[in-house]
Amino acid sequence: MDFATELANARYELIGKIISSSVKKVSKPKSFSDLVDTVVLDKYLGIPIFLTLMWAAFQFSFSVSAPFSDAIDIFFGAAAEWAKASISNEILASLVGDGIFGGLGFVLVFLPPIAFVFVSLAILEDSGYLPRAAFIMDRVMSKVGLHGKSFIPMLLGFGCNVPAIMACRTIENDVDRKITIMVNPLMSCSARLPVYILFAGVFFSGYEGAAIVSMYLLGIVLAAIMATVIRRILFGGRISPFLMEMPDYTMPSLKLVLNSAWIRTQIFLKKAATILFVGALFMWFLTVFPWDATGGGEILDNSYASLVGHIMEPLIKPLGLNWKAGVALLSGFMAKEIVVGTLGILYGVESEEAIQSALSQDFNPITALVMMAITLIYLPCLATIGVLKRELGEWKLVSLVILYELVLAYAVAALIVVSGKVLGVV
Amino acid sequence: MKKAVVALAGNPNVGKSAIFNALTGAKQKLGNWPGVTVEKKEGICKYKDIEMHIVDLPGIYGLTASSIDEKIARDFILHNKPDLVVDIVDASNIERNLYLTLQLIEMDANIVIALNKVDLAESKGYKIDAKKLSEKLGLPVVPTVAIRNKGIEELKRAMYNAIKTKIKSSLRYNDKLESVISLIEQKVVEKRVLPEYPSRFVAIRLLEGDEEILRSANLQEEVIKQWILQRS
Repeated sequence: MDFATELANARYELIGKIISSSVKKVSKPKSFSDLVDTVVLDKYLGIPIFLTLMWAAFQFSFSVSAPFSDAIDIFFGAAAEWAKASISNEILASLVGDGIFGGLGFVLVFLPPIAFVFVSLAILEDSGYLPRAAFIMDRVMSKVGLHGKSFIPMLLGFGCNVPAIMACRTIENDVDRKITIMVNPLMSCSARLPVYILFAGVFFSGYEGAAIVSMYLLGIVLAAIMATVIRRILFGGRISPFLMEMPDYTMPSLKLVLNSAWIRTQIFLKKAATILFVGALFMWFLTVFPWDATGGGEILDNSYASLVGHIMEPLIKPLGLNWKAGVALLSGFMAKEIVVGTLGILYGVESEEAIQSALSQDFNPITALVMMAITLIYLPCLATIGVLKRELGEWKLVSLVILYELVLAYAVAALIVVSGKVLGVV
Repeated sequence: MKKAVVALAGNPNVGKSAIFNALTGAKQKLGNWPGVTVEKKEGICKYKDIEMHIVDLPGIYGLTASSIDEKIARDFILHNKPDLVVDIVDASNIERNLYLTLQLIEMDANIVIALNKVDLAESKGYKIDAKKLSEKLGLPVVPTVAIRNKGIEELKRAMYNAIKTKIKSSLRYNDKLESVISLIEQKVVEKRVLPEYPSRFVAIRLLEGDEEILRSANLQEEVIKQWILQRS
């Protein structure tokens, strides 16, 4: 006889007895939350509603933030011009103008859309919808080898993979936990958002929300596939059952929404002031040195960046990417926001307007999608690798994550290129 | 002043932090549980002649040590042997919450139940007879609404009394199961298996095939099966 089940049954039997004599249930009409849930959690309507809400959240964030981004853009563009004109030392002028205002300013342009995405997510969170989203996704996820409890850490991954991976500690089963950790970097964190926003804005104008949501979905689908693969190959075993609580729906409070969005936005700002700043300086250095050979950054082909980029080029050329994209992706290893900053520096532009035309020359809708997909998949950032090591314990599993991500990124990119050719888009 | 260690246990989202804050006020200390980065909150609550050191355990659904949080909670109760465990039960979710309560009783802990969120339970249409519940569980039950500071004084009084008198619940399962439990318990006592832990707890865990207990007792699951077979 299985005494574990026997004991669990005995406990529930006893609880039943205790409750039947001490608790009375007065029937009440269905609450507002229950009524909403009959629609929102519906077997067929659930997923379309979820996708629509996510799309609306991004589209809203994108539209509302545009004027703010333009203002920041104009400001940094003017600041760069001013710096270059008023600083007499050539190198210093280039450093301040191209490096700091060009590189960092270009990252800060994405502050408004990021802040508004956080506001939208906070509204969904505070209203009580996000746990429902977890429930809806659990139906899908349990079919593909992910535990329902994995959803919350996966959801947190949309913010930042580092706390998300730490949140995996709430998953009791060790195998479920390790699998969730190993696929979490595929969840599209907010650091990748600037890259999506940039390319979606240039190549998918009018459909930015849809283009961005598709990246998030791609991440989810790949995570599900990898979870199944990893479970099959590494661990085996069944998924343990999932229990989740549905809080009642509440009207989100403006103060709490703004507060939580602000806290998350601050993280982005802090990053901008530290690692992104250093990254921008470093990238500036690579693009303008050796100073004489590049003529102070005029002849990009003679720079260190070009040297590094051309080494990589054979690898990414089949995907339709040039060496500049390669350098940008390489720099994203430090933090994924740096990718757009690097592009800004490499294309030598301080304003969003200018980069749009510059990008249009080197990319097309297909290579834009390739760039977005690679940014989503290719490598966990430095901080994520650190936390992966801490939570997985062994370098073996961490290197496995890095390896499968690189291979997967390349495979997905190749698939996009081939589909583009087949469909005759390009 | 006499010192007593009090652990706060409960499922996630039962208002444990609210109870903790209501009991300790501003006197709180934040730290980490040894060896892990799970937050540990401690505070002090003085009542009459007792200084209660309140330790906030992580929110858990059971005590099977299958997650880090459950392991922390279980180890704290087993090794630090707190004078009292305040089990916070969400009145609006009582059925699921009592599962942990039963597991705490199995650990032979000295328990007071804080029946929290009674207002919410009522608005959901549950009428809970706290007296009857207390009678059935064999434990003191104090209804509270922690976020509105309701029932906190009563809770403190109940905690004080429980520390002084140390009442333990004698709640038991069905006879068939109990006969097996007591059989194993006898063996546990006889063979001095993990004598530092309550024998009933060890017996139940061995029956459940709890890997950690089996390992620390240096026993195989087969041995337990043989013990059961020997009887019949």
